[in-house]
Amino acid sequence: MRNNLKFNLTEGYKEQQLISELADQFAIKKEPAISESFAIYDTFDWRLFNKSLVLYRSGNKLFLRKLAKSEIMHTIEITSIPVFIWDFPDGKLKQHLVPIIKMRALLKLVEVHCRSTTYRILNQDEKTVTRLAYEEILPSREKDAPALAAHLWVKPVKGYPQYFRNLAERFEEAGFTISKKEDIYFKALEVVDKKPGSYSAKLNLQLDPDVRSDDATKVILHFLLQVMRINEVNIEKDLDTEFLHDFRVAIRRTRSALGQIKNVFPMGTTNRFKKDFAFVGKLSNQLRDLDVYLLKEDTYKAMLPPVLRNDIDPLFEYLRQKRSKALQNVLNSLRSKKYAKILHDWEAFLSEPREDSATTANSKLPVIYLARKRIYVKYRGVVKAGNLILENTEDEMLHVLRIQCKKLRYLMEFFSSLFPRKKINVLIEQLKKLQDNLGDFNDLRVQEEYLLNITKKLPATHQQLKKTLVAIGSLIGTLDRERQTVKDAFAKTFTDFASPANKKLFRELFTLSRTSRN
Amino acid sequence: MATLALYSNKGGVGKTATAVNLSYLAARTGVKTLICDLDPQSSATYYFRVKPKLKSGTKGFIKGGKHVYKSIKGTDYENLDLLPADFSLRNLDATFAKLRRSKHQLKKILKPFRDQYDLIILDCPVTISILAENILNAVDYALVPLIPTTLSVRTYKQLLKFCIKNNYEVGKIYSFFSMVDWHKKMHKELMVTVAKTFDGVLQSFIPYLAQIEKMGIHREPVAVSSPRSVAAKAYQNLWDKVQQIIL
Repeated sequence: MRNNLKFNLTEGYKEQQLISELADQFAIKKEPAISESFAIYDTFDWRLFNKSLVLYRSGNKLFLRKLAKSEIMHTIEITSIPVFIWDFPDGKLKQHLVPIIKMRALLKLVEVHCRSTTYRILNQDEKTVTRLAYEEILPSREKDAPALAAHLWVKPVKGYPQYFRNLAERFEEAGFTISKKEDIYFKALEVVDKKPGSYSAKLNLQLDPDVRSDDATKVILHFLLQVMRINEVNIEKDLDTEFLHDFRVAIRRTRSALGQIKNVFPMGTTNRFKKDFAFVGKLSNQLRDLDVYLLKEDTYKAMLPPVLRNDIDPLFEYLRQKRSKALQNVLNSLRSKKYAKILHDWEAFLSEPREDSATTANSKLPVIYLARKRIYVKYRGVVKAGNLILENTEDEMLHVLRIQCKKLRYLMEFFSSLFPRKKINVLIEQLKKLQDNLGDFNDLRVQEEYLLNITKKLPATHQQLKKTLVAIGSLIGTLDRERQTVKDAFAKTFTDFASPANKKLFRELFTLSRTSRN
Repeated sequence: MATLALYSNKGGVGKTATAVNLSYLAARTGVKTLICDLDPQSSATYYFRVKPKLKSGTKGFIKGGKHVYKSIKGTDYENLDLLPADFSLRNLDATFAKLRRSKHQLKKILKPFRDQYDLIILDCPVTISILAENILNAVDYALVPLIPTTLSVRTYKQLLKFCIKNNYEVGKIYSFFSMVDWHKKMHKELMVTVAKTFDGVLQSFIPYLAQIEKMGIHREPVAVSSPRSVAAKAYQNLWDKVQQIIL
């Protein structure tokens, strides 16, 4: 059977005109118009859009489809709109979304309305032989709202192909074009002035290799400042934990850039802002810690033997109470004069024209040179520190190596646009594996300490709390065993990273080759 | 996927009206439905305003597959297709009789459509011959309209006896009361007796209503021509009961 055809009407051609013209030739029966609303959802950082997915609600149903495709991949019935992945009922839709949206909240991006009127084309027996559906997508429910898009669908009825063909030909002759697969998604978002994919905390900068190092560094720092500003306003809304996380990562990257991209700004300026951002970073340490533990609630419970699973609840209750205070503290500090002044001065510094009198050793150097040098030095540092650990694995040294790796990673990300994309991505991936190992080790160590510390703060007077302590003890035991496994995996992970192949690639990309310009 | 026959070995009991209304109600709930008009009188086909014509008549019909598929017509309603009747179907009995496995021909013809539709409803002519056996072999359920009269009940007993004798599963036969007249004392009394005597009598009935007879004028299911009528409600109630059994 033939498929439905979707036509664009020619400019200025109206629904009424079309139908009255057709009425000269066919008997037509108009069905009552149907109005439906569609609300589109995504996370703040466009995780669904980045995977070419569209999640939308219409009535009491939630649909998932691919961008530019009309087939529905999954549908569920809902009584209220889920905000977090754990609000979804178990099933295929949830399974599909879990690895994509993770801990981020779903936000309603826009709601549009679809009004469609079906006209049945009848034969002499008054039998329907083709359906025409005039469909308008409207930005609001108001009657005179200008349509975002209008289409005419021609839908065949099985067994009556000649009518369908006849009508389709007629519309083509009238100059109607068959509608391409433009997704209404984009038009709908335009209404609310949202640009899909416009926010990402990832550094996606295009640097020119010949630009001065100080200017290039300002470009990087400016981007990071924007990330801070965008997230700062949303921390207050407390929609999910990742606004704070992105905010903190931007601060950490800023500090790393100030420390690692050396001698591009006057020493006094660099030192001042290093200190300032260290201060800003600390403001939210406690809140982030609590977020991490609360996000781990289910994981922790799964680690416990079933008999203790519910006994851990008082711990999370305690953490939740602490969190609401911690959030208040963070919000107060973000509203403080000190914070405002730091950010204001920083913005002013990044925007002001450079003073050529105040040049420093690397400020005028083309950024490609500085980037190569800094990355290579850092890489050598990481390899050296790692080799020492292979001989003698001390927890403290693993921590130091983790910090070194993080600095190297940030440098590579700041400057990645200066290097062949595929090659640098290979190295970043390799580094990431090592970082994951070190990160896991550190997280487990910190968690053990934290849990041990918290036992002192929970007053162990009630029987219930005694059981909670037992549960915490059991948890620490599991975490400790896991930490040992992670530690055992270090040697292999590090050796993989420091492999001759990677070494060759690091040298190729980041040492001054003979062919490079002077 | 289910196949349901509106079947009776007695005429004028309301098979076609029931088949047409149930298939419409099924399609309306999103069940992709095919109604097959097997009666050469082609009343169901008429109700859907389709010409009673099969491509290559009974010959094409018994070949099955694409020969049948080509004859299927979309109706005025979403999710509802019709396989029209054809006058040549009057010879269906004789044609089946000439073939090998003559009692399983209809099952073979319908098989490819079981994947394409969620529900196939057969509107059957009055028969208790080879065609009846084809029907009983082809469907998952048979629904028999019963007028609460002595003759109608007697014919129903005949059918059950026939099934037992020829090893057809009596469990797939359901019945409901049709053309019920509340003013008649006999109707009321018989309904009570029959419900006690037989298994598979649905707790739902269709009254004798002018609205249903007028389907021939409107050529629409009653739920379309008069959605708030008693008739529309009665069919909805019957569909609810049938749906619980077959889907």
